[in-house]
Order: sequence, then structure tokens, then C-alpha cells
Amino acid sequence: MEEARIKTFPVKPKLKTKPRTQQQTPESKYWSSFKTQQIPKQFPIHSIDYSPTPPHSFVLANSTTLHIFNSKTLSETSQITFKDTVSCVSFRNDARLIAASDLSGLVQVFDFNERRRIRHLQSHTRPVRFVHYPRHDKLHLVSGGDDALVKYWDVAEAKVIHQFNGHKDYVRCGHSSPVNSDTFVTGSYDHLVKLWDVRVRDSSKSAMDINHGCPVEDVVFLPSGGMIATAGGNSVKLWDVIGGGKLLYSMESHNKTVTSICVGRIGKDSVDESNQYRIMSVGLDGYFKVFDYGSMKVTHSMRFPAPLVSLGYSPDCLTRVIGTSNGMIYASKRKVKVDENEKGIVASEGSSIWRIRPLESTEKKVLKTTDFRYFQRGQGEKPSEGDYLVMRPKKVKLTAHDKLLNKFRHGDALVCVLEGKNPGHVVAVMEELVSRKKLLRCVSDLDLEKLELLLAFLHKYCTVPKYSSLLMGLANKVIEMRADDIRASETLKKHIRNLKSTVEAEIRIQQSLQEIQGIISPLLRIAGRR
Amino acid sequence: MRGGQSYVSCPPSFSNDGNRLLVGCGTSVAIFSTATALQVSSLEGHTSTVTSVVVVPGSKILNYCWTSSLDGTIRYWDFSLFECIKKIDLNLPIFSMVIPSLLSTPEESSGKKKNVYAYVCMQTENGKDNKPKLCTAQIRKCNLTNYNKLSKVTLKETKRPQRLTISPCGNFLGIKDKRKLHIWKIPKVDSDSAVSKKITLHHTKTFSVLTFHPTERIVAAGDVTGRILIFRGFGAQNFQENGELLNRTSMTGEECKPGVRQNDDAESCSTWHWHSSGVNLLSFSSDGVYLYSGGKEGVLVFWQLDTGKKKFLPRIGSPLRYFIDSPDPSVSSISCADNQIHIFKISSMEIMRSISGIKPPLSSQDICESISSQAAFDCTSGLVAVQTENYGIQFYSLFANRGLYEIQVCERNYQPVDDVTVVVTMVELSVDGSMMGTVEVKLPEEGIGGLICLKLWDLDSDTKRFSMSTLIYEPHRDAHISAIAFHPTRHMAVTSSYGGDFKIWVCREETQQKGQTHQNFSWMCHAVGSYKNKAMRAAAFSADGSVLAVAADTVITLWDPDKNELIAVVGETPSPIGRLIFVGKSENLLSVSHGSTPQLSVWSMSKLAASWSYRLEIEAVSCALDLSYFAVIALLPKSIERMFKGDGIILVFNATDPTPMASWSVTKAKGGSIAFLKGNPSELADEKSSKTLLAYLNGDREYVLFDPYDKEARELNMTMQGDLVGLEDNGQFGYTSIYGELPVFDLKRNKASSVFSGASNRPWETIFNGSSSHMLPPLTKLCSEFLESLLEKKTSIIE
Repeated sequence: MEEARIKTFPVKPKLKTKPRTQQQTPESKYWSSFKTQQIPKQFPIHSIDYSPTPPHSFVLANSTTLHIFNSKTLSETSQITFKDTVSCVSFRNDARLIAASDLSGLVQVFDFNERRRIRHLQSHTRPVRFVHYPRHDKLHLVSGGDDALVKYWDVAEAKVIHQFNGHKDYVRCGHSSPVNSDTFVTGSYDHLVKLWDVRVRDSSKSAMDINHGCPVEDVVFLPSGGMIATAGGNSVKLWDVIGGGKLLYSMESHNKTVTSICVGRIGKDSVDESNQYRIMSVGLDGYFKVFDYGSMKVTHSMRFPAPLVSLGYSPDCLTRVIGTSNGMIYASKRKVKVDENEKGIVASEGSSIWRIRPLESTEKKVLKTTDFRYFQRGQGEKPSEGDYLVMRPKKVKLTAHDKLLNKFRHGDALVCVLEGKNPGHVVAVMEELVSRKKLLRCVSDLDLEKLELLLAFLHKYCTVPKYSSLLMGLANKVIEMRADDIRASETLKKHIRNLKSTVEAEIRIQQSLQEIQGIISPLLRIAGRR
Repeated sequence: MRGGQSYVSCPPSFSNDGNRLLVGCGTSVAIFSTATALQVSSLEGHTSTVTSVVVVPGSKILNYCWTSSLDGTIRYWDFSLFECIKKIDLNLPIFSMVIPSLLSTPEESSGKKKNVYAYVCMQTENGKDNKPKLCTAQIRKCNLTNYNKLSKVTLKETKRPQRLTISPCGNFLGIKDKRKLHIWKIPKVDSDSAVSKKITLHHTKTFSVLTFHPTERIVAAGDVTGRILIFRGFGAQNFQENGELLNRTSMTGEECKPGVRQNDDAESCSTWHWHSSGVNLLSFSSDGVYLYSGGKEGVLVFWQLDTGKKKFLPRIGSPLRYFIDSPDPSVSSISCADNQIHIFKISSMEIMRSISGIKPPLSSQDICESISSQAAFDCTSGLVAVQTENYGIQFYSLFANRGLYEIQVCERNYQPVDDVTVVVTMVELSVDGSMMGTVEVKLPEEGIGGLICLKLWDLDSDTKRFSMSTLIYEPHRDAHISAIAFHPTRHMAVTSSYGGDFKIWVCREETQQKGQTHQNFSWMCHAVGSYKNKAMRAAAFSADGSVLAVAADTVITLWDPDKNELIAVVGETPSPIGRLIFVGKSENLLSVSHGSTPQLSVWSMSKLAASWSYRLEIEAVSCALDLSYFAVIALLPKSIERMFKGDGIILVFNATDPTPMASWSVTKAKGGSIAFLKGNPSELADEKSSKTLLAYLNGDREYVLFDPYDKEARELNMTMQGDLVGLEDNGQFGYTSIYGELPVFDLKRNKASSVFSGASNRPWETIFNGSSSHMLPPLTKLCSEFLESLLEKKTSIIE
């Protein structure tokens, strides 16, 4: 009881209000656990593709070059240059070949490891916008372009096997079925997504037409193969392909055109959620959204400061790359905890060659006074379960300003917090000084450099609503009390000018808010009448 | 049942074995156990405040003590049997008493029983000529063994009563008188006529306390500026007697008396200065090596007498009053001004336990009188929660008459010498005592940095202590909170402010974390309401919680607390309403207004009109929970105070009847409060269970509990300590007799002519008052509605 009497109360900033909504869901925590780093390039990143085999390096198309990145380090390993702007890039399923299209209408196939051109596929007359290796097919290639034609290539012979001419506008995207190597979909600016089957020999007849309602920017098959997701306009739509192209859901949470979508797995360590797939979408509004198509809900949303045009997500769920229209690449990587067991196994395996049999003498050595450990015996002893623990009282950690305040060095305490970064602490110390009736005294005693600090602080925070009730009054007093010093010094005058402009801006905001209030208040009255 | 007396009005005294501490509290002497700090028993008998307690020293089994009181008697007690053995009536109030002969070593007197003499400081006898006397107190001698009348010898007359100080071996007696110390040498063989020798020591500042060294001729005195003067070898000249052997050589000349003022009889005088304000406490250790001093700072200083080195026991938290050594050398007691007696160990310099009385009212009351409220009562458990100086709330059990615990409201260390900058202005408990609301105000420094915090607390069901659940900064912007009221059944509270709005807070229970059943209460603002921007000074929930009454200046607004709708506006009083309360389960609402035309009004909720009213200055009101009775404390005007021998009167009314059922006159009603309590659970075992007690807590936080319905208990005698005017025989006054004599009481039985303002069927009133801040339809709907309304207007014009 008497312990409670002698207490120290550190000067702490005011508590913050608790958010009413629940904090992060586990899923959004997962998505924000990706640590983003920025890789600047000069031109828009039109296409990103991940290698389907480990280590899952990725390729992105930037102007006339293909940049190949290592996904472990997020560093560029090599590049391939073209004659014209590269529009799309696609890996073969064994990651040994890579196909890329450019705006000259050429589709080229490279050996990924040696970066050697193997085939030139020349047939499109207009820029090619999309090229894609079917999922289970190593021999063929699908491409589409501004000539509204979709071509099915035999790569080995560099020849078009099939030409589909059902689209009436630029073909922008396409994807192959994950379950069937003969079917694929393409999306075009004529608002249509067409499902093609190479076994159908009628070149203008598609197996199915789906009308998205807007120019289609991207289309993907979901892993089951029974559904496709299409992106165009502000919406991402889900369609049931097996059920005859029925619209299942339309996600309309983007504010501008959705430019790219992809499907990814939540690579959580925990078992229950690890096999859930999500549709990720990026749009020109700068938002990256994750959509759970099981519950039809947007589960995570993230904002980037530029229009986003392309998206890639690694099959091992460790990296994510987002390309923007201004050339910035946001490459994100998730830190994975290496499983302790796994690590242990690896270590034991590694050392097994060298392992020596453990010593037989496991019996306890009796410590003698000649042993130094004799004098340390018992110090590392852990309490057993039934022991009564006498706890040492917790020491109160005092911050620098607390120590100064305890010594009644009020001015130093104020300067100490002003030099720090936390505005909450500054205001807390000011409040403490007010309750000691020493604040104005401190202000009048500050020398010019410290006064500059104070003015800079006031300029920065005096209009923050949380602190303004104290700081506005203080700002007035400071200017009043130190008018002569401020007049004498040019730098201080500058601070005062800044302060003035901040206050003016705040007044403008207040006025406009009042206008809004004036508009709303009659409406509220109507509401009260109901 | 009384309680709440000050434990620190006079120095306490240890029993010979050191196990008991005798504390004069009010009219009785309370005996505490030093081992448990709980009250063991009390010595009842004095009719006025006990002013000194002197334990007869001797062996450990002797349990006798002398006490003196303002009622003019000296009593001799056996405090192991709790009975009075002897009573000596001096007829004049005694302010202080010392008995030197008890302390002097008992000489082997040859069978002859010596007379015991006491020196008393008492009120002077009134002269025959009735002239106002300059001197009100005199120091007299009194034979205790066989008393017939006071001895003629008057040692000294002083203007104000002074506390007598005696040296530990009983040789010297001293008082302070402004800038002088008077010291008498007590004759070895005392008799009625023996005249003591006297010396006087001078100083330039007013003395505040003095003490004698246990063995040597040293007197230490503290003054109001915090200096401690130590006079060594005082009285070497004057007290020299033939038979007496002095170690010191006699005085040789003026020059070797450093620090001593001109003709004072002392060998040397040294000054120590550490205390920043007046020294209140000075005491030598029993071996005379250390001097203890204390003052307003609440720091006990240990001075090494020879070297002047200091040690400190800081943070006692309140101005110190008395320091008493016990016969057990390890234990001592310090009395603090906040009505606490700490028992502490000198060797380890730590406080072992505390006897805690009810904390005194805030001295800062005047700073924020308008915004601070009274103590809060928990009717069911008989607790009262009072604000304390050290930014806390003390919970005091009225039945047990002891402090239960304290909670710290504001996280600050309290320093008694500092200016008051933070005040806990308000405390309010819910009806069932499970919720508490406190308001603290940080006073601004030259207009900047003021802060008002509302804190809401929940009672922990296991520990029975309050813990804070929600902290709200500036709940009504910078306007002060005028009232807090809790919903009687639900987790709902309302705060009203002088800024013209009230807020309804609801507690939302959140269960977080899947595995644990961790409950988290948090309060949120549920609704905001205002009425014509009038300052709101009071709020109250009805007994079933369905109606919320908020006083908006001079009218009462009734609200539905869930929907936040204005139901009705009632009446008009001449001055702003400061307090509202629903009378039990009845349909009556009570309003109290202060100001130039104070008024107590009862409003009928069924008729929405005033039933009856009185023009009375009401200090506090309370109503019984289930019944339709209520009690008020009315302050009496100065002119008739004499007549009632008290400045206040407690009246108990039935809400339907303007004639009071009972009345009692009380003293110190200003700042008092009143409450109906459920009966003491421990006492209820044998009595009928529905006993209701009325508790009255006066301005000094002394309280009395009584049964307002008991016809015999109409006798209430509130004599207060420190009140020197004799307050005996406060008889009971029938109300009719009061009424006949008082033309001031203006009975306005305006049952019929009241202002009717029936339930308003014009809901737009609520809109114009800016209410209904929640549950709005979406803007799109509003827009159309709004435009439609405009259209309607147009068409009507066209037509």
C-alpha cells in the first residue's frame, strides 16, 4: 500500500483514440507484410511474367528491352533488347523458352538461359499486343494484336497453324485454360471475350462469347479452369465458363480502368488458408486490390502513388511486382520465417558426416573450489514450479525530458523534446510546464536558436486539431513576448511568415467547412422532421 | 452514528507498551492498534472536542490517561477497561494540558502521596465589567489529585490559545507567543502557590513550534519562514538554583553568546534553514541525537544535532502536524494535515501503515467553486467518495468510519507547497455503485493550456476497486462540465456542460481475443443534444431510466435518452436551475435553483407543471431510492442563524406534500451533502431489513448517520470541533414553530397557476435545437425531401 504512495508519473503524451473498426484482418496483415522496394525505369511497364519453375525469376517489358530479374534479391540479372517496343512477354511452362511480342508485329522466341533468339514469328501486320504460351503445351503459341486477329502458331516451324478472326477490334489480352491445352480465351476492345478451341476448324467461330460491357483489358482463367475473370473499365467480372458464360459477380471497387489482373495463392505458413486463391487487380487509380472470389469480397486494398498498368505474382507467393505507367516498378517481397524444424534437419544432415559420437561421461562432475564455475554455481538456476518468487520491483524507465523535469530544469526539458521528433511528447511536456506554471517563463528564457526550434514546431503543428487548443494560444504568446527578438532576426522572421501562411491556410479550410456546414444543416433539419 | 472526525486536531499519544495509539477525535478518544492500524475502541464521555491526551507513564500494564476537552473538564481514564475514573470540572474550555510531574523521575517519597499538578491553557474567565478582553487565553495550574478550585497563579495571559510544550523530563514548560518563547521552570516540589521562574527568548519572526531536548538544556523552535533556531543552555542565569548542579560554567559575558538576542538567557543560538515554509513539527529523538522537523512540504527531515547533517523522508504527501515517539523505540507516528496518521519505523525510515481518516475538503475549493461538486455516495454499501488534494478519490466507509482505499485520478505527484493547477472537480457514482465518473480540470497558465478530462471508471467485481475504462479529453470542448448522471440500470451516462450541450455516453462491451474472455469496456458518445444554446447545469435520469431531465438555464427539458428526442419542456424558474433529481419512484421531479432568487421546486411529471415550491437556499438534496421522500439541506440566512444555533437546516419532505415531515438544525452546512443510505448490513441481522438511514456530511467532512423515520431520534446535536462558540443543546425544532417565526419563507403554492407546456407535437423544435446528431437518413433521401419542401412552398405561393 505504501509502495503505491511513492510513485513516479512520467510525462506521457495524451492517449490516442481507439479505432472503432477492427484493426487489420489476418489476410490484410498478410498482404501488407510484403515489403515494397522501388525500382525506377523510364518507360511504362506493359507486361510482367514470372518463370513457372523455381527460382521464379521474372521478366518485365520496358520499352524496347526485356529486363530479367532475380526474385530472391529483386535485382536485375540481364536484359534482352529489341528493335521496337515490347508489348507482351510469356514463359513456356518449363521456363526454358520465352516469347515476346513487339509493336512492329513481330513475335520472337528466346532461349531464356542463353538469351538467344531462336524463332522469328512474322505474320501480324499490326502491333502485337499479346502473346501467350499455353499452360500444358510446349509447341504452340497464341498471339493477338491490333489487326483484330488471333493466331495459333507452331513454334518449331515458325508458322501460323490457325487464325481466328472473330474479333472486331484490337485484341489486347488472352489466357489459356489450365486444364485443357486446346482452349484459350482472348479479350478485345470490342467488349467481347471469346473462348476459342483449336480443334474447331471454323476460323471465325468461337466456342463462346462473353460480353464484358467495356473494352477488355485483361482476362485470366481461374485455377479450376471453369471460371474466367475479365477486367475492363472500372470492373472485374467473374464468369462461369462451364455454365455457359454466366456472370457470377462484378467487382466494381476500382475508380478507374482496371489494367491488369492475375491469380495468386495465399502462401501462408498456416495450413488452413494456404490453398486459397485470390484475384489481384491493379488499376489506373493506383489501387492494388485483392479479391476473394470464394466470399466475393475485397479483402485488401493498397494505394500506390502512380497509375498501375501491370501486375505479376510469383507462384511461390514470395514476391509481387507491380509496374506503373511512369516507369516505376514496385517490387515487393515477403519475409518468410524459415521453419525451425526444417532448419534443424538441414543442419543435422549437414553435420552428420562430421558427427563424432558424444562423450560417454555424462555423469555429473562434482565441482571443486579449483573450478571457476564453483563460484558461479546456482546463479543461473531457474525457479521450479512451486517456488515462491520474490520479484524485484520494476524500474520505471525515465526519458530524458522526465529526468530534466524531475530536476526542475524546465527550459532544458522543453528544448530536449523540441529536438526530438515526437510532437506528442512536446505537447505533453508543455502541458506539464503549464501545470507547473513555468511554460511562459521557459519561452521567455529561450535563446534565439532554441526559439527557432520552437517556432518551427509551432509552424508544423499548431493547426493540428489534436494540439491546436494549446499551441494556438502558445503561438500568440510567443509572438507577443518575443516580438523584439523576432524582428531582429531574419531566420525567425521567415518562421513567422511560414506560421502565418499555415494559419491562413487553416482559416481558409475552416471557412470552406463552414460553407459545407451551411449547405448540410438545412438537410439535417429535414432529417429531423422525418 | 457519527464519524469522520479529525484525527489530527491534537497530538496523539502512545500507550506504555506501544501497542495502542490514543487519538483525540472529536468528542471521544479513539484507541487504535499500532499493529493493524484499526480502531480498537474509544473513550466516550466528553461533550466537546478533546484537546489533549496524556498517558500516565509507568510500567507496561498501567493503562491510565488524562484527557482535557473544550467542554471544560479533565478526565482520568482507565483505557484498558474503557471507563472514566475521575472527572474534574474547570468550567472553562481547555485548549491544552500538560502534566509535568508525571514525567519527572519518581523520587522515593517517604510514603507521602504527592499531589499531581497539571498546567492548562484555558479560556480566561469573563470579567465582571464585560469588557472585550485582549487576552482570551491564560495558563493556569491545577491540582489534579484533590481538586477544589483552580490555583490563583496565572502564569501568562495570551491573546490566542497556545499549545503547551513540556520537556521530556518534565523540568520546563514552554509556549510560543508571536515572536517570543516563554519558558518556565517547574518547581521540584509543586504546590498551588509555588511560582515558577520564567525566561523569554526573542526572535525576529513569528514562532510556530518549539520543543525541548530530552536531557540537555536545549530548546529548538521553528518559525513561519522555515528556520529552526536552537537555543543551547537557556536559562543558565535565571534558573540557577542553589541546590542545582550545572555542568556548564556560568556566563562570562555578552560576547560569548553567539546568535542570542540582547538580554536573552541562553548561551548560544544557531539557525538551520531548510524548510521553505513554516515549520509545523519539531521533535528530538529520545536519545537527543537527532532533531526531526517537518512542515508544509510533507518532508520529514532528520537533523543530526551536533553536525547539522540532514536525512530526509520525502513524499509523505501532506503537511505534517505532529510527531510522536512511542516507548517502543522503533515505532513513531506522524500526523498529517490530510487526516492521516502514519506509523513508521525510524530505523528503516519507511511508513509501515496508516490510520486514515476522511480527507479534508479541498483547500482549492474557492478557485473553482462554481465547477466543483460535492461528495458522491454509494447508497447500497454506505461508501462515500470524496475528492482529495492529491488528485485522487478517497473511498470512505461511513459504517466502519475508516478510509477504505484511494484511487489516483490524475497521474501527478502532489506537492503541498505548489500552487494548485490541477483539481479533481467532480466525482459521481451510479446508483448501484458499479460505475464512477470523475472530472479533472487543469487550470490554464495565462489562458493557455487548460484541459478538462472526463474519466469513466468501472468497478472490478473481484477486487472491489475502480479501474479506469475510458478517458475523454475535453468532452465539451473547452466548456466546463456541470453534472454527470448515470442511468439507473444500464451502462449509460450523461454529462451536461455550461457550454450549452449535453452528451449521452454508452458503454460498449467488447470481447476481444478468441481464446481469452478478456472484456474491454469502452464508453462512446451516443448522442449530443442542446436546447437553444442555453447553459445546462444539471441532469438526472428518472428511476426507470426512461426519461432524461436536463436543466437548460431556467427551464427543464425532458428527453428520451435512447432516441435523443426532446419530449417536453417544463416550466420556468426565476433563476438558473443548478440541480435536478427525480424523487424515488414517484412521478415528481425536484429542481434547485441558486442565485438571487433561490428556489426549491417540485414538478409533477404527469401534469408537466410545478406542484409546489419554496424560496430556500438549498445546499444539497437527496432522495430515497424506493420511497417518495427526499431530504434537503437549506442554508439559513445570517439574520436567523442565531435562532437555530446553526447555519443550516435539514428538512425531509414527502414529494406530494409541501409540509416537511421532519427537520433538524445543523452547523457547517455550507459545503455539506446529504444522502439516504441503505441500512448497515452488519447491523441489520436482527432488525427489520428495510431500514433507511440519512447521512449528513458537513462542510468539514464530519458526518452523522441517523434514521429519519425514527420519532425518538429527532435529537441531533452537531457540535463541531474547532468551533469555539458553545453549541450545546441544539434542541429539536418543530417545523411549525420555524414557520411561524419566519416571514422570509415564501410559500408559493401555485398548484394551479403553473405554466403548462404539454408534450410538444412540433418536432421541428428538436431540429432547430440541433439535436438528433445520430441516425440520419442518407443525404440522397434528404436532398429530395428538402427540394420537395421547397417545391411545396412555391406552389402554396402560386395558389
